Amino acid sequence: MKKKKLVKFLVYLVFVLALILIVPSVTTGYSIMIVDVALLYFIAALGLSVMLGIGGQMTFAAVSFMGVGAFTSAQLSKYAHIPTSLSIILGILVAALFAFLIGLVLLRLKGPFFAFSTISLVQIMSNIFLNYEPLTGGARGIQSIPKLNLGVFSPNNLFGWFYLLIAVAIICGLIVERVRQTHLGRALSSVRDNEIAAMSLGVDVFKTKVVAFTIAGALAGLSGALYAHMSQYISQSLFTFNTSLTFIMMVMLGGVNSTVGTFFGALLVTMLPEWLRPLKQYLMIIYGVGIIFLMVYMPMGLAGVARSILTKCQRKKQQKGAEAANGYSK
Amino acid sequence: MNFLINLFIPLTISGLAMGVIYALMAMGLMLLIRAIGVLNFAQGDLLMFGAYLTYCLKDQLKLPLLIMWISAFLLFAVFGAIFMFSVYYPMRDTTWRQTFTITTIAASFILKDSVQLIWGTNPISVKPLIAGSVKIFGTKIAIQYLLIIGIAAVIIWAVFVIFEKLYAGRMMQAATQDKYAAEIIGIPTMITTLITYMIVVVIAGTAGYMVAPIFFVNPTLGTLQLSAFAGVILGGFGNLKGAVVGSIIIGLIQSYSTLITTTYKDTIVFLVIILVLIFRPQGIFLGSKISDKA
Repeated sequence: MKKKKLVKFLVYLVFVLALILIVPSVTTGYSIMIVDVALLYFIAALGLSVMLGIGGQMTFAAVSFMGVGAFTSAQLSKYAHIPTSLSIILGILVAALFAFLIGLVLLRLKGPFFAFSTISLVQIMSNIFLNYEPLTGGARGIQSIPKLNLGVFSPNNLFGWFYLLIAVAIICGLIVERVRQTHLGRALSSVRDNEIAAMSLGVDVFKTKVVAFTIAGALAGLSGALYAHMSQYISQSLFTFNTSLTFIMMVMLGGVNSTVGTFFGALLVTMLPEWLRPLKQYLMIIYGVGIIFLMVYMPMGLAGVARSILTKCQRKKQQKGAEAANGYSK
Repeated sequence: MNFLINLFIPLTISGLAMGVIYALMAMGLMLLIRAIGVLNFAQGDLLMFGAYLTYCLKDQLKLPLLIMWISAFLLFAVFGAIFMFSVYYPMRDTTWRQTFTITTIAASFILKDSVQLIWGTNPISVKPLIAGSVKIFGTKIAIQYLLIIGIAAVIIWAVFVIFEKLYAGRMMQAATQDKYAAEIIGIPTMITTLITYMIVVVIAGTAGYMVAPIFFVNPTLGTLQLSAFAGVILGGFGNLKGAVVGSIIIGLIQSYSTLITTTYKDTIVFLVIILVLIFRPQGIFLGSKISDKA
């Protein structure tokens, strides 16, 4: 068992190293930006993976918390002249607090009702982002947001951002993987599988959901705050229902209950339109058809395919082992 | 007094007209939720598609009105079948219901872009069926609004008759309530699902035909579906009558809220939805089981 874990760890390590070494050398200014954006989306989608994958709660709200984190950090660093590293942390905190308060109210609802109420939240928030100028600059958005300065490391270009975002994404992924193993994660999965059974076993369903929602909000806030400082310009157009649908597709295409799957889902959903760009006006049609085909042939997402291939290989190995042991062959 | 009437009657009529459009969409949503348990994110795009298709038949091909209606009806039904065979049929055996949600999102992308490819992105203006306006209590009301209310009322009534009174509708209801048991007693559930899809597209397409003269025909018509979602919640999930009344209330709220604010119109609507969800999660109507929903 331990050996297996070590192999898994080594595989991931090699993969990450390869990513760090290969990606900057094969990408140019524009394509590295796409990779950066994919990584940012991955961080926000991780929060969704906690709610939807572990907890089974369909939520569209991530994009609102992303907006709250982004606007908070942008405002604080631009107008209050707070150091960017601190303003990002404050952005995360405000987003998490906001998610906590919203969660206290909305999580009293269940299943599709909760999903619908989060759709309403996204609509309200994008409306406020668009119209409340003192906070968000209205339709013009906020321009010339200060560059990120972490003291020891301040990314000057998009390649610098790539290294930073890879590190942040790995840390967030590890946190989510850790959550999966803890009491909170197990309680959440039990809520997903059977809420009444979970309750009878002493799980505080409401509290568990609120904590998960807050974690999701914090991750989305982090993603939003980083986005604000990376592109130095934010406006309401990013934080709409459509972006929310994109997150959901990332999580579902990648594999709803898998961190690594979510990573590949985020890459796929962000890259696919770029790869298909030569097709120009047929882009979204092919994108849509592609998604339908993915759902037909791999309904559990990329992670599901990987898992089924792995189990097939293992079964074959076991069969071979058994055949050898019995001295029996066809 | 006169002032109030002048203010409220147009708002009420336009709110009611938008309300019944939302109601048509909400009915389609509800039928699909009941039939296969999927939230159709392409509902608004089906409406948009209906608007474009009827524009094409009427203004581009210049068909006579009656023939245009019949051909539009048939085309919607055929499109419903295509829709079902592309976003439902291939994944029908999946154990994971969210798959259908994803495929409807994908279908929404495809519809939006195909429409832009065929007809371009510029908004197209369409003449109303009967131009002009009538005077009610001294205020001018466009006839198109009244027409929308009338036609939509007929369609809503027809759907109720199909689903509650006719034998075929009972079969469909049985198939949605318990698929397995329905199959045992010989109900072809695949065909009932197919017919449900056809009805949904016909309703949504007709709604698109009716709103086309009010809004321009353009790819953003799909966003109307969010108000239909709101109507579904307000009426209580899984309740066809509730969805209709809820949608009409949403239309009226939207219309009246323009008295107070225009920029935060949507905020008010969705705030109402959240409040309803919190204080009356079973919807505004009694009679549905609370335990099913919240």
